Amino acid sequence: MADYDAIVVGAGLAGSTAAYCMAKEGLSVLVLERGNAAGAKNVTGGRLYGHSLEKILPGFADEAPVERKVVRERVSMMTDDSCFTADFHSSRFNDPASASYTVLRAEFDAWLAGKAEEAGCDVVCPAVADELLRDNGKVVGVRAGEDDLTAEVVLLADGVNSLLGQKAGLKKELAANFVAVGCKEVVELPKNVINDRFGLNDGEGMAHLFAGSPSNGMMGGGFLYTNKESVCVGLVVSVEEMAKSSVRLPDMMEKFRESAPLKPLLTGGKLVEYSAHLVPEGGLHMLPVLSADNLLLLGDAAGLCMNLGYTVRGMDLAVASGQMAAQTVIEAKEKGDYSNATLSGYKKKLENSFVLKDLHTHRNAPEFMEHTPRMFKEYPELAAEAFTRLFKVDGEPSRLMLKKMLPLVFKVGILNLAKDGFKAVRAL
Amino acid sequence: MKKIAVCYKWVLNDADIRVNEKSRELDLEKSKPQINEYDRNGLETGVKLKALFPEAELVGVTCGPDVEPSTKDALSRGPDTVYFLNDAALAEADSTTTSKVLAGIVRHLGNVDVVICSEGSSDVYAQQNGPRLAALLGYPSVSYVSAVSVDGDVLTLDRKLEQGTETVTVKAPVVISVSPDVCDAPIPSVKQILGAKKKPAHALTLADAGLSADAVKPLITVNSVKAPLSSRKAVNLGEDVPEAVAKLVKQLAGEGLL
Repeated sequence: MADYDAIVVGAGLAGSTAAYCMAKEGLSVLVLERGNAAGAKNVTGGRLYGHSLEKILPGFADEAPVERKVVRERVSMMTDDSCFTADFHSSRFNDPASASYTVLRAEFDAWLAGKAEEAGCDVVCPAVADELLRDNGKVVGVRAGEDDLTAEVVLLADGVNSLLGQKAGLKKELAANFVAVGCKEVVELPKNVINDRFGLNDGEGMAHLFAGSPSNGMMGGGFLYTNKESVCVGLVVSVEEMAKSSVRLPDMMEKFRESAPLKPLLTGGKLVEYSAHLVPEGGLHMLPVLSADNLLLLGDAAGLCMNLGYTVRGMDLAVASGQMAAQTVIEAKEKGDYSNATLSGYKKKLENSFVLKDLHTHRNAPEFMEHTPRMFKEYPELAAEAFTRLFKVDGEPSRLMLKKMLPLVFKVGILNLAKDGFKAVRAL
Repeated sequence: MKKIAVCYKWVLNDADIRVNEKSRELDLEKSKPQINEYDRNGLETGVKLKALFPEAELVGVTCGPDVEPSTKDALSRGPDTVYFLNDAALAEADSTTTSKVLAGIVRHLGNVDVVICSEGSSDVYAQQNGPRLAALLGYPSVSYVSAVSVDGDVLTLDRKLEQGTETVTVKAPVVISVSPDVCDAPIPSVKQILGAKKKPAHALTLADAGLSADAVKPLITVNSVKAPLSSRKAVNLGEDVPEAVAKLVKQLAGEGLL
């Protein structure tokens, strides 16, 4: 007789959601988290799309420690001396089904793990699951330090590296072109200063993504999210390109923070936190084996993350994968069969849901970005030059718009522009 | 040896205490309570003692304004049971009060052979509870203990002093104050943490400790706590490196630091 029906490794969003959903149905669940508290080791740029958690905990945002509801979206193309920004402010994202929230993981994850605990789970932190426990090859639990803990099924929600998933042969060691490195600073500012600087009312938030010079022309970009009384600002850059770069990430971060468009937004703020993390960005191409006998892979561990340049998603996928893993385990318990014959139902659920559908729809996005370096170098420069020509008045004879713009188009090449534009709308 | 008591304090994690730069007051909002780090060595000392006397009962003892949440953590570190005295009146407790309450709990337990304290708590580090407790209980007090060995009811204790190490023997009952180097304090294992949920924790009242509300009124009133400010010169040496180096050397020489 196993100690538990299920052991969940990792109390991030995927792990805690799975644990909560299983415990709600009466399963006995142990959650092991290596951080001192849930959320202690987690990093997000800042935004949770609420739809998937809303289905599990309706109205969660009223109770959970969310920072601000995003009503303002900005996307910028930056060069060293210019910044072109699209700014969209709307109350159309107000209903819970399409609302998104800025969050700080240390608080949000602790809250969700608390929910799992309230539902009856044993949540232990800090506890490191060192390896899977096997009996004649069959997974029967985990070993944590000197303790053997047994369960019918183990859910690996142990994050982007998922060493346990690698050891179990479900996934390979991360390839450099499938991951990005993210770094983030949390800068404290008074609430009213944030409201004023970003044009927000109390409780309203902004999400701002930057392409171009912040990532030094490499695949990646910058971000800025507003919290209640702080701002998250950071960079995400391809590990593969970073490895070849002579510029270090902290220096890029420094340059980004001190850039003319950013500096006044952060002036007077106090740097209270610095963190960095790997981000899975390979999409469908890095999808691991999601289940085996007595074993499931969830969230970042399963590489469930999407970066389209204009939206970045991971947490909503993690939550949904947690819920579907839980449903699969509940079915397995009813059948009394935890072999892959039953557990492979998890992948089918993901395929029938937005999780793998969206990853499939945007399956070419990572490749598009990887093979279209113009997105990160030439196009921000093109935008800067176009607007310079549009707005510059210097006493030189002026020209018609067409004559102003056409030479720029030729600079990048009409074919390139058409090709990239066509590929972009098909991939993103 | 039948009963070993270990006193621990539930303190705010000092790593997360911040200082308001204007008022110099402490901002405790982000700081979560935890078992005083030094007391973790005390608890482990108790575990090691109990290993020599498997029949003995190892009891965790604590008091304060909001100490009930501490019991699970304490129990995961080895005690068989915890006796805690939760009372809002103890929010401002000084060493005089705390040692009175702890002595009351130890008396309530009865027949305690060894009381283990640490040298101090990470919040005020007054280093008084061990000796005060001994005085109130009428037990001998041995402080700065860095090693413990036992033969029957006689303890041989190393005391780490400034000039060297003193070795003393003492007959139980006794109060000892241990320094952190007495033993390592391991992080509780998963099974210990899970097992803690099944162990009993007993709530006591001031009356159980033989104390009236008046008896725990603090004799010392803390009016304010302010952090020291380190002043920085905040000199910007500019961006030209050779020039900045020259300026820095000149500045340091001017301060008489070179």
